[in-house]
Amino acid sequence: MSSELSILALYGILTMVQILVHVLTATPPLGLPYLVGPRDEARPLTGIPGRCKRAAENAVTALALFAPAVLMLQAKGALTPHTLLAAQVFLIMRLIYAVAYPLGTPWLRTIVWVVAFLANLSLYLAVL
Amino acid sequence: MPPELIALALAGLLQYAQYGLFAIPANVELGTGYTSSARDRPPSRPLSLTTARLQRAMTNHFEGLILFTLAVVVVTLGQQSTPVTQTAAWIYLAARILYIPAYAFGWRPWRSAIWGVGFAATLTMIVAALIP
Repeated sequence: MSSELSILALYGILTMVQILVHVLTATPPLGLPYLVGPRDEARPLTGIPGRCKRAAENAVTALALFAPAVLMLQAKGALTPHTLLAAQVFLIMRLIYAVAYPLGTPWLRTIVWVVAFLANLSLYLAVL
Repeated sequence: MPPELIALALAGLLQYAQYGLFAIPANVELGTGYTSSARDRPPSRPLSLTTARLQRAMTNHFEGLILFTLAVVVVTLGQQSTPVTQTAAWIYLAARILYIPAYAFGWRPWRSAIWGVGFAATLTMIVAALIP
């Protein structure tokens, strides 16, 4: 398996961990009976549980953009040291993002989001 | 075609079916005048209980499908397909089919349990792909 594919797999695990953290932090405020029920009335999440929810949703959005880039690079055989570096930068930035969002560090969170976004964009340019 | 890819194609078709299951009653309840508008305001009438559940089931499957697509890509392109990953792919599909009635009928806590099965199946495939 190529390193880029391994990074994609690791990012998938990171996203799934963020979803689990979101569910676990949402359990005390919302209650387990609500979470395992059909959730017919919306209950908003505030504070750190709300941050974990938004961070997990953002991770899924980023995944929808990252997975096609890796898939195309792999299918085209266009893997280079540059694409490996960009994928590594993406993963590290998203890892920092996952920690920075619940901690509520505004500028750090935004900066690492932008760097990950640009690293992903460079993968699309590498495909072309 | 690897079994994981067949399961992915069927999971994609399942999402189309979930679109129909939600969109048809939603258009009946809200009216096509509203649904075809720019939806600048919330609808004057809320969705019925079951239609709202079908919408949440569809939204949840988008998240599940994105992660399952990743799992299938790393397993197939990484040439890591084994009976374990193939079985996990079929378990994922079965769980996501069951998730729809579980949500619509409010099976508590089985909807969450079924979600957990699909989640675990996806995670199994990703971890299996990483193990040489």
